[in-house]
Amino acid sequence: MKAWSVDYVIWRLETAYPGGFKYALKHPIQFLIDGWNFLIWCEKIDLELASRGKRKC
Amino acid sequence: MLDFMIRDVRFCSPIIAASGTFGYGDEVQKFVDLSKIGSVITKSITLEPREGNPSPRIHESNSGMINSIGLANMGVDSFCDTKLDSLNKLKTNFIVSVAGSSLDEYADVIKQIDKTNGKHVGYEVNISCPNVKEGGIEFGVNKDVTFKLTRRLRELTDKLLIIKLTPNVTNIAEIAQAAESGGADAVSAVNTFQGLAIDHKTGKMLLSTKFGGISGPSIKPLALAKVHKIYQQINIPILGMGGIVDCVDVVEFLRVGASMVQIGTLNYRDPSLISTIHDKLHALMVKNKFSKLSDLIGAYH
Repeated sequence: MKAWSVDYVIWRLETAYPGGFKYALKHPIQFLIDGWNFLIWCEKIDLELASRGKRKC
Repeated sequence: MLDFMIRDVRFCSPIIAASGTFGYGDEVQKFVDLSKIGSVITKSITLEPREGNPSPRIHESNSGMINSIGLANMGVDSFCDTKLDSLNKLKTNFIVSVAGSSLDEYADVIKQIDKTNGKHVGYEVNISCPNVKEGGIEFGVNKDVTFKLTRRLRELTDKLLIIKLTPNVTNIAEIAQAAESGGADAVSAVNTFQGLAIDHKTGKMLLSTKFGGISGPSIKPLALAKVHKIYQQINIPILGMGGIVDCVDVVEFLRVGASMVQIGTLNYRDPSLISTIHDKLHALMVKNKFSKLSDLIGAYH
């Protein structure tokens, strides 16, 4: 899944915040900071996955 | 080649989506090929609806995450009314995760779901919840309480009963034995490890509840050790979990004693990745001349 679908984003927000996307709308700065941190984390996980891809089965 | 039976229930794959990382299970079917997953486990259902803990309740760490979501869910009534029908149509098995703050609460949730026409194959019992009547100590840290809870729930349902063990105990094998003695069909091992995150500049805790559960690749060696210890003491299947992100991790868990595995944190990165692991595991088994899962399960021992 190269692009996150709307369904995925809504589901992810419900996990992150009590009230889901409504909470994100009410707290836009926190949402931006959290979103940024999440993107950085995704990059780290991608690096981890890429390094695993080099392992021989 | 990859199918596995627990009692009379057939799973087409040893790979399961872990509770709390796949929503209720129906949300993700639009972007995940569920036919390549042995089962989906719903988020934990409680008697009453819960909004969960205040934000921040997830902290992304270097090689995993720390969460204290606090069992956010719609409660058993809404779950039965609004979710079961769509879950019944999933292209794979589903298991309902249940949680509670007392023995009665766990029992009431299972009684209520068992009355419906749900096609769920079993229940995963989250015993990492605080037992309100025992001063807030988690059910899963005491073998007698674990036995009592398992036996009580066993009397209520014929569906699979899977006890999800907390790793935050001195002797996890004896808790697993208590679950087996109480009538569990399998155990999930392990839930998250307790952790904490703090801002080094401000000294502020990064989770609203201070402590949370660590998951992701960083806990895999710890989880493997727990599965290894449990395997030597029980005779029921172990659903291994903790930091699995690829098929090699799956094989490692199988070799130390897991019969099936659960994948959790990876779903936060991309829920569609879980279905690719099935194909990779199949290819790995063919390449290494393993004809069935049982060739690998507990092979180390």
